[in-house]
Amino acid sequence: MSPQAGRARLVGRPRSLAVDLRGVANLVAALTKYLSLATLVPAGVALGSGESPVPFLAAGVLTGGLGWAVERLTRGDHAVRPREGFLIVALVWVVAAGVAALPYLFSGEPQFDRPLDAYFEGMAGFTTTGGSILTDVEALPHSLLIWRALTQWLGGLGIIVLALAVFPRLRVGGRQLFESELPGPEIESLTTRIRDTARRLWILYVALTAVLVAILWLYGLSGLDARMNGFEAVSHALTTIPTGGFSPNARSVEDYAAVTQWTFVVFMFLGGVNFALMYAAFVRLAPRRLLRDEEFRLYAGLLALGAVILGLELAGAGVASGEAAVRHAVFQTVSIMTTTGYSSTDFAVWPTLAIMTVIGLMFVGGSAGSTSGSVKVVRHVLLGRILRREIDQTVHPELVSPVRLNRRVVDERTLRAVSSFILLYIGIFVAGAALIALDAARVGLDLRVLDAVGVSAAMIGNVGPSFGIAGPLGSYEPFSDVSTAVMILLMWLGRLEVIPIVVLLTRRYWRS
Amino acid sequence: MKIFVIGAGQVGTTIVQALHDDHDVTVIDLDPARLEPLAHRYDVSTIEGNGASRSVLAEAGVASADLLIACTSRDEANIVSAMISKAVAPMTTTIVRTTNPEYLEVWREGQLDVDFIVSSELETAHAVSSSIGVPAARQTDVFADGQVQLVEFDVEEGSSPSVVGVPVRSAAIPKDSKVAGIIRADSIILPGGDETIHAGDRIVVIGSPAAAQAWSELIAPGSGKVTDVVVFGAGRAGTAIAKMLLEQGIGVRMIEASRDRARIVAEGLPRARVFHSTGIEPDFLERERIGEAQVAIFAMRDDMKNHYAATLARVHGVSFTIAIVHDPPAIEVFEHAGIDVTINPRAVTAEEIVRFAHDPRTQQVSMLEGDRFEVLDITTRPGSEYVGKAFREMPIRGALIGAIVRDGTAIFPRGDDVLRAGDRAIIFTESKRVPEVERAL
Repeated sequence: MSPQAGRARLVGRPRSLAVDLRGVANLVAALTKYLSLATLVPAGVALGSGESPVPFLAAGVLTGGLGWAVERLTRGDHAVRPREGFLIVALVWVVAAGVAALPYLFSGEPQFDRPLDAYFEGMAGFTTTGGSILTDVEALPHSLLIWRALTQWLGGLGIIVLALAVFPRLRVGGRQLFESELPGPEIESLTTRIRDTARRLWILYVALTAVLVAILWLYGLSGLDARMNGFEAVSHALTTIPTGGFSPNARSVEDYAAVTQWTFVVFMFLGGVNFALMYAAFVRLAPRRLLRDEEFRLYAGLLALGAVILGLELAGAGVASGEAAVRHAVFQTVSIMTTTGYSSTDFAVWPTLAIMTVIGLMFVGGSAGSTSGSVKVVRHVLLGRILRREIDQTVHPELVSPVRLNRRVVDERTLRAVSSFILLYIGIFVAGAALIALDAARVGLDLRVLDAVGVSAAMIGNVGPSFGIAGPLGSYEPFSDVSTAVMILLMWLGRLEVIPIVVLLTRRYWRS
Repeated sequence: MKIFVIGAGQVGTTIVQALHDDHDVTVIDLDPARLEPLAHRYDVSTIEGNGASRSVLAEAGVASADLLIACTSRDEANIVSAMISKAVAPMTTTIVRTTNPEYLEVWREGQLDVDFIVSSELETAHAVSSSIGVPAARQTDVFADGQVQLVEFDVEEGSSPSVVGVPVRSAAIPKDSKVAGIIRADSIILPGGDETIHAGDRIVVIGSPAAAQAWSELIAPGSGKVTDVVVFGAGRAGTAIAKMLLEQGIGVRMIEASRDRARIVAEGLPRARVFHSTGIEPDFLERERIGEAQVAIFAMRDDMKNHYAATLARVHGVSFTIAIVHDPPAIEVFEHAGIDVTINPRAVTAEEIVRFAHDPRTQQVSMLEGDRFEVLDITTRPGSEYVGKAFREMPIRGALIGAIVRDGTAIFPRGDDVLRAGDRAIIFTESKRVPEVERAL
């Protein structure tokens, strides 16, 4: 090649992309293909209960075929590097919400007349948010309700984690992918192989779900809770362990017996515990590791504190008394803090002080490595220690003071990541609240500013219901398309813990 | 005994000095310049060569050794020497000097085939912690798991008149303690009761820890209990010192000039407060109120830096200063500058090695005033001429029984107590009488 020709090539070519888009597309397509298999479950339910399986089969064939086709088109030798990892994880969740939305659209259900609403429902499913645009959930056929619950169950531990655990031949081997999806600062692998870790987490996840189904069903059979039946046992178990919050009942879990509600409290609590630690405690029979864990202790402590404060506020305001006051306070604290979103009572009508407490709890979250969303307790622990050190160093500038967690030193990069995460999280939450409030004013929606704040917090924290029209008995249906889009973004950002997605917005990510 | 000493540095020289009289000593070192003075001064044979080399060791006749002491400054070379010696002659007792406390741990867990390991850092830390326990002390040694302390005090003007200026017999000496010796103008007096302690004397006291504290209060009134110690230099020695003090519940602040090292130490010692500073910036010393510390310990690698920092700390008001001194001649410089305690890591290491090299019955030995005096810890034979005798009947022959350990408990004997077979006697004596005392008991 002559020098001129070389130069011409150099000038003529656009600056190369640093991301292997074909590789990304290939992997996302493969994951979509596998994900489409999930539609077989509600299809089966539909056949069993005399409903139409067509919406599910159609969605399954469409997404499966599309996935298969794209995967074939982009075949080749692709390396999943950290850079591709971010994009894959981000896209998989966008696509998954779409897969979840298709059966809603195909069902012909009038509540899903707006495609964006169906997509919202899909995103609220996979991100285990549990907010719903449905105004009459009980009008839906069982198969659609099971599908709705199933999306939360599949999303609970993360789609990548699921893929790693279930599909041995999937070319997703990366710790990177695993970590960008389960990104708590303190996720320790149970095994040297990330795939084995994923598998063990899933075994525990399945076991917990099965136990809850059995317990709930038993309540129904034994007459402890006359309202409970097999269908409701399964649909609630599928959304409790992943701290999802979808319920096939219009009044959430309000009408169940007290014992059922207490059972939900226990399992929502477990859903907010670090699964790796729970595995050590339950399977390896080393419960002391769990009890000694600083994050677990603060998690349990904050739940207790929240319940006491809420209980006092409720009793003080005369909203509830006696066992009911205790139960509602504990239930709502656990449900909100673990970002489940079930309601044992309509907390949207509570006094302002109690509502502010609930909003506060939305920012706590469960433990890292759990199925819960929001900030997560470990980050609060670390932020507290970072601040304490900062103050200490103001007086003693030369002080060298490593931050520790569970007696182990946390490296400074992780600490910076924690601070940046919290800043970004708060920033996005504030922007979300402002957009939702402004948009509500624009379209003349009856939404107080406090409600908008609650909605933004509930969306980015993957909690679900919030206050006002979007309370536990309300719906996200009245919001305009703009607000719905903002809320979908918030759920997506919140589930992937903000930073991996923000990374995608930088120029340096795309260029070498 | 046939003894091989690998390494003729300061530690090796001190060991040779202590052992050459009674034993058949061979010294191996790479550097002929170090061997020559040894060969001149003592009746020992010297071999120039690598002590970690099998051929050198074999040629030197290590197969017939009773004891091999590997005390070069290189840990790994020492360990290799001991390993080879064990392989050639499994009956040889081996002693290894290390500067890395980790090897000590490995050895304690039985993963290193060596009979005895001495860590300079740990011995240094031990020495520091002993002198801090007794603030007015020049030097402290502990015996019988800390139940018995031997403390050296410099008696100064201002010491309590209840013990100074009156005959020892009528002085108000704290319970469970004894004045073992009075050192005056380079000669030692083993007080019989008529002697008097004067200001300017150096005295050696054997007693319980409580008695040592009481003595400290008598000699230097107002020295109190230690809660705030500053360690300058977070190298291995400084870290070992800080660790030991923290374990005793003493608050430790550390000052380290290297950022990376400061970080590592801060990570390793969660309870210490570590500062990244040279320790000689007046602003820093002022800001952190270093002057208010009760004790400052200077454990940096460089004697000159230690000297300057220690002097500066004194200027800032630190009342009690301890310096780790690497070069023996520097000790005088430090003492002249008013540094209260100087500790030479190599000397304490040599002391510990010599202790082990002594009679197997002897549990611990400590050397005072160079090597002129020793403290022995000997288990009494059943056949000893002193068994069954009351202490007052024992003739003073340049030796004094300061305490006995009976069934694990320390007893500070009075005149009519009787020595029994199996008692561990802690004895203060002149070095030249050590064999005599060992024979007698």
